Amino acid sequence: MLDRRSFLMGVAAVAVSGVVSRPVWAAPGDAGAFIQSLAESAMNTVAVKDLADSERVNRFRSLFVNTFDLPEISRFVLGRYWRAANDAQKAEFQKLFEDIQVYTWTRRFKEYNGETLELGGVKGEGEGDFIVDSQMKRAKLSPINVSWRVRRVGETFRILDIIVEGASMAITFRSDYGAVLSSQGGKVDGLLDVMRKKVDQLKLG
Amino acid sequence: MMTFFKPRPVASRVVASIFALALVAGCATPPPADDKEAMAEWEQVNDPLEPMNRTIFEFNQAVDKALLKPLAQGYRWAVPQFGRDRVRDFVRNLRAPVIFVNDVLQGEPDRAMQTLMRFAFNTGFGIGGLIDVAEPGGIPYHDEDFGQTFAVWGIGEGPYLVLPILGPSNPRDGVGLATEWLADPFNLYMDRIGQDWAIWTRTGVSGVEKRERLLDTLDEIERTSLDYYSALRSTYRQNRAAEVKNKLDADGQR
Repeated sequence: MLDRRSFLMGVAAVAVSGVVSRPVWAAPGDAGAFIQSLAESAMNTVAVKDLADSERVNRFRSLFVNTFDLPEISRFVLGRYWRAANDAQKAEFQKLFEDIQVYTWTRRFKEYNGETLELGGVKGEGEGDFIVDSQMKRAKLSPINVSWRVRRVGETFRILDIIVEGASMAITFRSDYGAVLSSQGGKVDGLLDVMRKKVDQLKLG
Repeated sequence: MMTFFKPRPVASRVVASIFALALVAGCATPPPADDKEAMAEWEQVNDPLEPMNRTIFEFNQAVDKALLKPLAQGYRWAVPQFGRDRVRDFVRNLRAPVIFVNDVLQGEPDRAMQTLMRFAFNTGFGIGGLIDVAEPGGIPYHDEDFGQTFAVWGIGEGPYLVLPILGPSNPRDGVGLATEWLADPFNLYMDRIGQDWAIWTRTGVSGVEKRERLLDTLDEIERTSLDYYSALRSTYRQNRAAEVKNKLDADGQR
């Protein structure tokens, strides 16, 4: 458990570094800087040691919903089933998808072990999209190639996809969720049931 | 005369019976041709043998849970990182001749030269390959295999295929694996002098070493996916496509 002193020190550290008050999307209009500042925010707010699980979840969630284009990702993952879904189903899907991501990533940050993100090149892709290459450097282990697909939205950017060692998460989700939809006879409610169970399972551990 | 060594009859019989069992499961039914979107998805997924593949996948999962994963966990627990790095460097160095041949077959003289230099340095100064001295010296490791070479030659992957024990593959990469198994100079030599145990030991050590490196990745995919089989299929195919294009080479990764 978290004692009072370390909690206060944590709050002080966060306040001094200013990451909470300074929104990441105020970074200069450059896709690389956006990813850099996102990584720094995550390290300084979500990956800190001795944080209560619920607080870590809250911090990651606010970072996540403000930097990822969830509606666009949801549309892509559901593919042709998106149009067949009604508004309530779409909203529920987006909420469950968000929860699955939040619990998955919160756990990863909890196990944070000094990894750093080193930015590589940035190249344009289509209109307004950029691919930001980076490498996650790990102590004693070989680095992991991570590319970020981001889209310019007004003054800021939104993340559409993360490509890890050549595998796009969006495409993998689409394949994974599409398989569940097929096995549920194409019924979105069937998929939502499976997702609900997954959220409960991830919440526990 | 070149003598190809033959796999043990027991092993081939086990593999054959798994295939026979899986074939009973049969093929998946394609969607009606007039449903364009469903058809596009079917082609995208590229898994007409899905029922058979899932049967083999279940078998592999059982073997993994009972044997391979505990072995890999035990290896991680018993051997410190330094020792595991030496094992990794050693089995990688043993692969150098195969990587070299594939660099050449892919028309990549620079990469072939890198592989050759690495093999010379690491075998000599690196105590028979135990220490990768070439990587800190500026010649990073890269992997190649016959499946990637066939891909560079324009041969398509073919339908997704789950191989018994070996896992995600396809006909192209499967033939590549068999080619490597039969053409690897180390294997050929050990077979010629009648030291088959060395081949099996090497295969076992490489397998455990690889499984140990994949422990966290596979756990994570299994934990966070809704359908592990589909998530793994998609991840494998994308990762493989990136490997073929040598996109993952920076700083010794792969």
